[in-house]
Amino acid sequence: MKKWFVLHRKEWLEMTRNYKVIWIPLIFVLFGLMQPITSYYMPEILKNASNLPEGSVIEIPMPTSGEVLAQTLGQFNQMGILVLVLAFMGIVSSERKSGMLKAILVKPVRFSSYITAKWMSAVLLSVGAIFLGMLASWYYTVLLIGDYPFMNIVKGTSLYLIWIMFLLTFTVFLSTFLKSSGFVAAFTLLLSILLTLLTSLFEKYMEWSPAQLTNAAASLFISGKLEGPLMLPLITTVILTALILYLAATRKSSL
Amino acid sequence: MELLEVKSLTKSFGKHVAVNDLSFSIEEGRCVALLGANGAGKTTTLEMLASLQKPTNGSISFLSVEKRDYREYIGYLPQYPVFFPWMNAIEYLVLMGELSGLSKSKAVARANELLELLGIADAKKRKIGGYSGGMKQRLGIAQALIHEPKLLMLDEPVSALDPVGRREILELMKLLKETTTILFSTHILHDAEEVCDDVIMIHKGELAVTASLSELRRKHQEDVIIISADENLDAWAGSIENWNIVSKVISTNNKIEIYVKNVAEARNLLLVEITEKKLPITKFTVGQTSLEDLFMEVVGR
Repeated sequence: MKKWFVLHRKEWLEMTRNYKVIWIPLIFVLFGLMQPITSYYMPEILKNASNLPEGSVIEIPMPTSGEVLAQTLGQFNQMGILVLVLAFMGIVSSERKSGMLKAILVKPVRFSSYITAKWMSAVLLSVGAIFLGMLASWYYTVLLIGDYPFMNIVKGTSLYLIWIMFLLTFTVFLSTFLKSSGFVAAFTLLLSILLTLLTSLFEKYMEWSPAQLTNAAASLFISGKLEGPLMLPLITTVILTALILYLAATRKSSL
Repeated sequence: MELLEVKSLTKSFGKHVAVNDLSFSIEEGRCVALLGANGAGKTTTLEMLASLQKPTNGSISFLSVEKRDYREYIGYLPQYPVFFPWMNAIEYLVLMGELSGLSKSKAVARANELLELLGIADAKKRKIGGYSGGMKQRLGIAQALIHEPKLLMLDEPVSALDPVGRREILELMKLLKETTTILFSTHILHDAEEVCDDVIMIHKGELAVTASLSELRRKHQEDVIIISADENLDAWAGSIENWNIVSKVISTNNKIEIYVKNVAEARNLLLVEITEKKLPITKFTVGQTSLEDLFMEVVGR
């Protein structure tokens, strides 16, 4: 257990030295505050940006606070996932490629400690970044559009984070055995897009899908209460995440 | 006491057999050289001993116990040591020390001690990314020694270094072998002869020779007299080939190598012969064959 903390600490030191601890949260905060701001100023932006004929009247109804927050979530689900996957795609594969993995495993360290320490650092940083991003979004939404209960933010974001954890775990898993970190990113993004797409296309058959958690969080933001399936996707996601993490932490065939 | 025993170790990658039925043992306190040409299977063997690769077949026992995790007792320097370039030397050594099971304070003390011993204490606060090849090699040895291992394994510790760096590492190995059992691989015979006690020679993944250096010298080293001359001495070479005292004569161009059974006697006889026949010799050397010849014999067969 002591060695696990040593490895975990090393991950944080590395993420500090290569500034991941700064730029990842920063991107999420930027995305988070862009959404309410662009929603608020949309009519102005359109007026200035487009060369509409003189006298055109632009009327866009102001979205509710909940809708803006749900849009933020949608933004996170596209650009945010891309950022996280690109940031963590090489988490294991780059160390295997450089030979660092061998240098560590020649010491009396368990492979599972090595993987889970990395996994935990990625999860913690992502969770922190997304929370900060949602917080920024909430702050500007309240400021510009209208009041919104803080507890709903916490609940909705927590639900959404389970989906993110699932994708992060998948990234780590692929990174343990794929040679190229580019493939890791490509496959994880593919999985995320496929799951989201299939879930919205075949809603009937995809009630178990982890991507349902995003929908649940969005509905929580918009209407203030949970709509649609929740328990089933929650359980499958947690089980799948645990399973993938287990597989990642046990395979040791190719160093 | 036997520290490590390897029995019919085999590793194959698909159809390619990298290491085939290798058996040997390492006594505690010895310095052992693993010799072989490039591609003979040295690195694969060492990686299996360091539990970085699973053997396809065969067993490794450490201190007479088979199938145990003995990683805490070994230190390993890979052929191309790698580090976290964003760390400095002291941070890296402390990390490796803690991963080896040392407490933080013990690791710090030990790291400082080793940096001093290896002569890179001046650069301990510098990022490893800016280190030279020789400094990295030293740091690699330091990380292998951090937890005072019973067995130190070095994969080609001097091959990539310049003559000065190589001299220094060899001197260091002489120092280390006083306290630690060392197994190192090399394809340079001269280095092996200089520091090791025992030799394990492998060829194409198979064991060729295993013996102590002195034993090898006794068995395979012959006295040889080399004569160079201004003219071709083939005819004369043929005439001395059937002397009792001569075991073999190799004559190339104007040079004759005469392998003899008794140097003192042969030297006298040859010198008399040379003066009698007024041979126009330019050089007369008395010496011994080196292990290089044995190596060539093993590799070339």
